[in-house]
Amino acid sequence: MLRYAIGRLVTLAVSLLVASLVIFGVLQIVPGDPASYMLGMNAAEDTVAALREELGLTGSAPARYLDWVAGMLRGDFGISYTYRTPVSELVAERLWVSLPLTIYALILSTTIALFAGVLAASRQGSAADLGVMGVTQLGISVPNFWFAMLLVLVFAVSLRWFSAGGFAGWEAGPFAALKSLTLPAIALALPQASILARIVRSSLLDSLQEDFMRTARAKGLSRRQALWRHALPNAMIPVLTIVGLQFSFLIAGAVIIENVFFLPGLGRLIFQAITQRDLIVVESVVMLLVFAVIVVTFLVDLAYAWVDPRLRRRT
Amino acid sequence: MTLLSVEDLTLSINGSPILNGISFDLQAGNVLGVIGESGSGKSMTAYSVMHLLPGGSELNGSIRLKGHDLTRLDEAALCGVRGAQIGMVFQEPMTALNPVRTIGDQVAETVEVHGRGTRREALQVARRTLDRVGLPADRFPLDRYPHELSGGQRQRVVIAMAIALQPAVLIADEPTTALDVTTQAQILDLLRGLVDADGMGLLMISHDLGVVAGMADRLAIMRRGDIVEAGPADEIFEAPAHAYTRALIEASGHHPPRGPDRTREVPLLEVRDVVRTYRTPRPTFLAPPGHFRAVDGVSFSVRRGENVGLVGESGCGKSTLTRAILGLDPIQGGEIRVAGNVVDADRRMARADRRRMQVVFQDPYGSFNPRHRVERLVAEPFHLLDEPLSAGERRRRVGAALDRVGLSAADADRYIHEFSGGQRQRIAIARALIIEPDLILLDEAVSALDVSIRAQILDLLADLSRRLNLSYLFISHDLSVVRAVTDRVLIMRAGRIVEEGATETVFRNPQHAYTRQLIASSPDIDSALAQRKIS
Amino acid sequence: MSEADLPRAPSRFVALLGTRSFVVGVLLSAVFLVGGLISLVWTPYDVTVLAIADRLRPPSPSHWFGTDQFGRDVLSMVMVGARTSIAVGLIAVGIGVALGVPLGLAAAALRGGFLDDVIMRTNDLIFAFPSLVIAILITAVFGPGAVNAIIAIGIFNIPVFARLARGAALSLWTRDFLLAARVAGKGPARISVEHILPNIANLLIVQATIQFSLGILAEAALSYVGLGAQPPVPSWGRMLAESQTLIGLAPHVALFPGFAIVLTVLGLNLTGDGLRDALDPKLRRGRT
Repeated sequence: MLRYAIGRLVTLAVSLLVASLVIFGVLQIVPGDPASYMLGMNAAEDTVAALREELGLTGSAPARYLDWVAGMLRGDFGISYTYRTPVSELVAERLWVSLPLTIYALILSTTIALFAGVLAASRQGSAADLGVMGVTQLGISVPNFWFAMLLVLVFAVSLRWFSAGGFAGWEAGPFAALKSLTLPAIALALPQASILARIVRSSLLDSLQEDFMRTARAKGLSRRQALWRHALPNAMIPVLTIVGLQFSFLIAGAVIIENVFFLPGLGRLIFQAITQRDLIVVESVVMLLVFAVIVVTFLVDLAYAWVDPRLRRRT
Repeated sequence: MTLLSVEDLTLSINGSPILNGISFDLQAGNVLGVIGESGSGKSMTAYSVMHLLPGGSELNGSIRLKGHDLTRLDEAALCGVRGAQIGMVFQEPMTALNPVRTIGDQVAETVEVHGRGTRREALQVARRTLDRVGLPADRFPLDRYPHELSGGQRQRVVIAMAIALQPAVLIADEPTTALDVTTQAQILDLLRGLVDADGMGLLMISHDLGVVAGMADRLAIMRRGDIVEAGPADEIFEAPAHAYTRALIEASGHHPPRGPDRTREVPLLEVRDVVRTYRTPRPTFLAPPGHFRAVDGVSFSVRRGENVGLVGESGCGKSTLTRAILGLDPIQGGEIRVAGNVVDADRRMARADRRRMQVVFQDPYGSFNPRHRVERLVAEPFHLLDEPLSAGERRRRVGAALDRVGLSAADADRYIHEFSGGQRQRIAIARALIIEPDLILLDEAVSALDVSIRAQILDLLADLSRRLNLSYLFISHDLSVVRAVTDRVLIMRAGRIVEEGATETVFRNPQHAYTRQLIASSPDIDSALAQRKIS
Repeated sequence: MSEADLPRAPSRFVALLGTRSFVVGVLLSAVFLVGGLISLVWTPYDVTVLAIADRLRPPSPSHWFGTDQFGRDVLSMVMVGARTSIAVGLIAVGIGVALGVPLGLAAAALRGGFLDDVIMRTNDLIFAFPSLVIAILITAVFGPGAVNAIIAIGIFNIPVFARLARGAALSLWTRDFLLAARVAGKGPARISVEHILPNIANLLIVQATIQFSLGILAEAALSYVGLGAQPPVPSWGRMLAESQTLIGLAPHVALFPGFAIVLTVLGLNLTGDGLRDALDPKLRRGRT
């Protein structure tokens, strides 16, 4: 088990290293000089030079890369070109919106998917199964941002149960804050829940076909007991992979959904940064998103070993 | 006492008949062997008794367990019967256990699900039962997982699950078919011992008369959904009444007619000190990776026209050796020569040398690309010719090869899924013959076939060898087949050849302890009957 | 080759037509494909002409889908937008297949080797970047546009096809008929093309329809946040972005492009399901 964990940890470190190199490298190609862009066409040479110094744009590429990585390890992401405040502060503030939104959506999507998938598989061919398959077929075809717009149209514009956008802030109390995240979380979660529910169903149906299910039935377990005790734990192995992958889709989705609901999260930050060519912010936020995805992949790998004893011995 | 009484049982699945009114009785402390080839309905008989049938099944007749008719019980009552009064053991021990739960947990579940004790008591029963089936606590603690066990050990766990509550009836569906012969003998001993100790009735289902010959009290011979003959085992073996039973007994001890020995003293294949190693995972994180010697200094030769058997159990290295001889995998030591020229997987071997060897595999279903027609499949080795053939010539030769193996030239236009397992093995032989090789490696080539089909293929091989002066390297785990068709035999174990000699000499007077163990474990009707007479 | 396949072709084709989801799916996606094609030569109204006087008209006989905030005909916009979606989706799938499949086949042929490791690690790395994040990076460097959207989606498709091809090829490499081909002296490249590719083609086709539909969704999302097709190229995603503030006032402007996306994607998904059911019974997920 320890060997497996160490192996995964090494993979995690290498992935992070390569990802940071790729992100840094890609942004090196960007034409133009942020300092002169920020100061406008008519800025004096020495003002530009001073700003370059301030932004840490002098020095060779490897040196700047090392500075960047060393800074990130200390929690220092540099200073935003446009806001002139530390990127870490900007990001931390926005993270308090994006991260709860993603987790909220992940919980919603996993719960719904498990319930619907198990229901459909355990009554294969029934009306419930057909219903789940039909709804999820539609669910995987709907773009989440359009679904979000429909939710706004129905629940905010027509029924007025929720506000059409904006974030109440955690100062307003957890209930108000969560309420303003509810429509976005639903919009994010339902399309992902549709995918996951179908995977839960097919994975469970596969498990139900396994030889050990016959063994379980021969022991005297009822169909239901065999499903819960033997099929479901085995069906969870492929489901875990998808839950891990979904985290990355949810993060990306959150970036878009925040735009529909005018939420002050990482998504809004990154799109503003792109239009204002605030590359240091783009660089940091992208790195942060990739970091989150890689860490979640690592956690999923550990969870794998927990679910599947066969993995604990291998690297 | 009659434990189980099946009367006029009929079964159809989605309208097609599987069982046509079969009847049998099983007595306490007795073993009833149900024998049949594939498609005879023998496994479905077992699943009918368990009431574990696929959807679309229609079952009629009566199945009485100690006088109570199981066909009248509802599903909940049947759950109470399964595992408690009837236990079942399956063919595939590798997949019969849940991979994510411990063996102790899975055996204890039988006790728990029938409400026969608390969790603690159930685990104690599991411990006792695992001890009984030969998995002692010091080497097999309850928290072992199935993947940490060998096939034979897993089958013992499955048996423990089935007998944990000491059921009246135990059903074993081909329980040893997936196991090696020495393991098979141990599992058969275990089952017989359990029957004698607990007074259970054992319904033993098998395709192999040899397997049940040593342990069955009564036999039922099945064919296409009917029991064609039933009665005490001794009487049936002594004087089989039905023609099909006679054919089965004849086929399982089948010796194809052999011509005069035309072996010439010219070595065709020479294998000298061959070593094949694999890297194994690093034992610790920084340690160097280990090496596993799958083939460890093997030497032998095959002469022109000679049929040599290579016998060993799974994992002994015989398949690895086969691949090395064919020049598919590199070797790490020694030398392989065919007709005097070196076989080498790294450098490209001369086509003329590759043409000398062809192969026939075990699985008649996996050996062919399902998307090609037979003509293209059989013609594949023509790739080894220096000059491509004209379409007409190619077709003519494929037709001739099909003709030779007992098929017709017209079969060249069909797809492989249109053929039965035995016909596919004939096509595989045609593919091997087509470029007129000197040596054919037969890698378990008849192991997947029913006994009657197997006998036909063995006859075909013997005939081809005689007519074309072919050499065979006959790789198999099945001693009786090797004994029937080879001149010389090599016994392989753990990467080494432990004994070598003329086939009859080795079988009559084995020198190595392992050879003796193999021969003793090998199911064989004649020796089993001889044993029965003594006891 | 095509002649050799003939006898089985009719039965497969009949099997396809017997699959309801395939028929419905093909019809649905064909509606938008044909709509996009027609828009190349004719649209009900010219989408480049603004008619502020006719703005935000609800659906009517003269404007079936109504008009947008600049008075343009929404039906015409949806037709032209289909072109963008389909082109982006198709080319992105093409990139994924053209690069991913050979990489996957090579990785499987050299299983366990150095190249296999490099290919699979690179794949894992690309998976660590959500496709939108790739798009953001590319846009940050090269600026927004349909071509960059295609590249971003296409890059993400490469590991999808590479993994699929490698996995399927690996299981085929253990089969005896590939061993027989090697005994017949054939090399890994030849075996990959002659034996493996035809046997995994079904899987690839099914995956291609799925990636096609995902590509359309991704293009819509990118255009919605302004990283995809730029004006004046009409695109479903941007139509939705522009209609967002008007959703209370004139819902039809947001509804019709949305329906277009949903129905096209649904059509492709159903096509994929139908293909899978008809072509590969082993993949059938317990449909009754």
